[in-house]
Amino acid sequence: MSASEAWIAAGTFTGVAFVIAAGTLIAAALLRVRARKHSEARTRTYECGEEPDGGAWVRFHPRYYLVALVFVIFDVEAVFLLPWAVSLRSVGAVALWSMLAFLAILLLGWVYAVKKGALRWV
Amino acid sequence: MNEIQFCLLLAVALFSIGIYGLLTRRNAIGILLSIELMANAVNINLVAFSRVHGGAAGQVFALFAIALTVAEVAIGLGLVILMARTRKSINVDEARDLHG
Amino acid sequence: MQPLLIDLSIAALALLVFVADLLMPSEEKRGLGHLASAGLVLILLLTFVLDMQGDAFGGAYVLDPLALWFKRVFLLAGALAALIALDPAEQAFARRQGEYYLLLLLSLLGMSILSSARELLLIVVSFELMSLPLYVLTAFTKSSKLSGEGALKFYLVGATSLAITLFGLSLVFGATGTTMLPEIAANAGAIRSPLLVLGVLTTLAGLAFKIGAVPFHMWVPDTYEGAATPFVGFLAVAPKAAGFALLVRLYLVAFAPLSVRFQPALLALCVLTLVVGNVLALTQTNIKRLLAYSGIAQIGYMMVGLLAQTGEGVGMLLFYLAAYLFTNVGAFAVVCAVGAASGSDDIRAYRGLSRRNPALALAMLVFLLSLGGIPFVAGFWAKMGIFIAAWHAGLHWLVLLGAGLAVVGVYYYLRIARSLYLDDPEEGAQPITIGAPLRLALIVCGTAVVLIGIWPRPWFDTALDAAKSFLH
Repeated sequence: MSASEAWIAAGTFTGVAFVIAAGTLIAAALLRVRARKHSEARTRTYECGEEPDGGAWVRFHPRYYLVALVFVIFDVEAVFLLPWAVSLRSVGAVALWSMLAFLAILLLGWVYAVKKGALRWV
Repeated sequence: MNEIQFCLLLAVALFSIGIYGLLTRRNAIGILLSIELMANAVNINLVAFSRVHGGAAGQVFALFAIALTVAEVAIGLGLVILMARTRKSINVDEARDLHG
Repeated sequence: MQPLLIDLSIAALALLVFVADLLMPSEEKRGLGHLASAGLVLILLLTFVLDMQGDAFGGAYVLDPLALWFKRVFLLAGALAALIALDPAEQAFARRQGEYYLLLLLSLLGMSILSSARELLLIVVSFELMSLPLYVLTAFTKSSKLSGEGALKFYLVGATSLAITLFGLSLVFGATGTTMLPEIAANAGAIRSPLLVLGVLTTLAGLAFKIGAVPFHMWVPDTYEGAATPFVGFLAVAPKAAGFALLVRLYLVAFAPLSVRFQPALLALCVLTLVVGNVLALTQTNIKRLLAYSGIAQIGYMMVGLLAQTGEGVGMLLFYLAAYLFTNVGAFAVVCAVGAASGSDDIRAYRGLSRRNPALALAMLVFLLSLGGIPFVAGFWAKMGIFIAAWHAGLHWLVLLGAGLAVVGVYYYLRIARSLYLDDPEEGAQPITIGAPLRLALIVCGTAVVLIGIWPRPWFDTALDAAKSFLH
């Protein structure tokens, strides 16, 4: 690919990106299907399917977010365990000790969370 | 159009939507979501390039990027909760006590 | 293993503080501050005693004279920040001291690794390790609305800049097929892909956010004003130094073959930063905002050193960072003392400071002179060195512009200096007493600023040697 072709490609690339972004917005505005005005279906949460039970706008207690945050962090740090487990055999003892150190630090974080009462649900 | 180009286009589209949201959203959570979109565009890029070049470097990069983004969002949500407590609102336009 | 010794020591110190914080009863937590600052000073001394240069992880991590210079700057800034926060008058960190020192050390660890990183993934991870604790530290005074607002602005800008930097780096990886900087440097000249140019420019935009270059500077004054003052001295120096470490490694080494492409963008950023920083500082009435805009202007001067793209330019940049470290941390230490005594960061609180505490006023005078670049204090040689290096590199008009704006700078620094001595204190102002930790920090900074001013030669030589070890 020559330099000018490459620039044309980059230009097209950017152009198409904008077209896609704008296109979805326009398509959504044109194609949306809505129930007739003043019909009962219009006021429901979902126009078809399950009737929701209770309001969706209840307030969640901040404590819920705190627990969720702690969960998400531990959950995602576990993402490193999979590639580690796959390559453990080929990398050897260094990998084992590195992961143990990593888990030890993670454990310290957990102890901290427990000690500060972040996981207590009163 | 081959599949790599398609992936890159998808990534650029996601990134652009993220920037659009970043500039138009006034709700702090909405802004966080937009930043998350931008970060995920990067992951698509990395995985696509990893396929081009072979090897695992790009995929490992993407894994780390995911973990980093989560750590970052956790702190961001903490700051938003702090804002909700001190101001009773998470509209970023109302956070304008600092200026000059 | 030896090249990693400094960073391992910082990590060990951080873990030690963390465990001690979990075990200690809360009334003894001041000990953590002593532990952190003493530990950092010890590690700093270690860098002078042991010869640890070399690389690790197949070249992904390197301890060269450049990394060593930056590590010393970070360690000093961290030790001083820990010391200032120990001051009994400082209430912001009285609760949750363990967290303050832990986060400070973790951020420091991130910076320290960043200055050694020669691989994209390591760069990104250490960059985040540096940034995340800073967001939390900015929000540390939880009850204060301003603190939370400053932190949220800092966070949103930081997270966005990370996403943009990552996008740029992913394109660089895509174009070159490698994450090792030396390999990128070797291949970059031969690759004619627009992806690489786009990646290099996008990365630059992301980094410009981080160092607070205009037009990506909006968060700087708000964050400084909102955050607790002892921490701002650290925030104003260390992350910016880390940003420059990364800029040097990326733009003067790895992307050097593309310099024709990014040089104009860097030049535009530099000129804007110099002009806007100096001009907006003129109208500020809050000392922290004034120092923030002055800091933006200083970033501009440092970018001049970067633009020279020579070993001399980088050497002068390193010298500038050292001078800037002592001057800025010192100035913010004075702001701490005055802020704690008068409960205000308004410039009017500095009227007649010489009659409330002559030593404090003298220290502030020295720091202001250094910021303004008046002869025979550290800041003068720093600006001089940068200008000479840029002149040698042929950036004549940029040097003239910088020198002109430096004169504008002298005006707003001297305006405060004048009011320290010639104005009457406000009604009912009491004499200010300062605690031992803060006094020690002020003495260290003040002595260093004067010493570098009188006898800059050894500093110049070491800085030039460090820069020329990898760039000619």
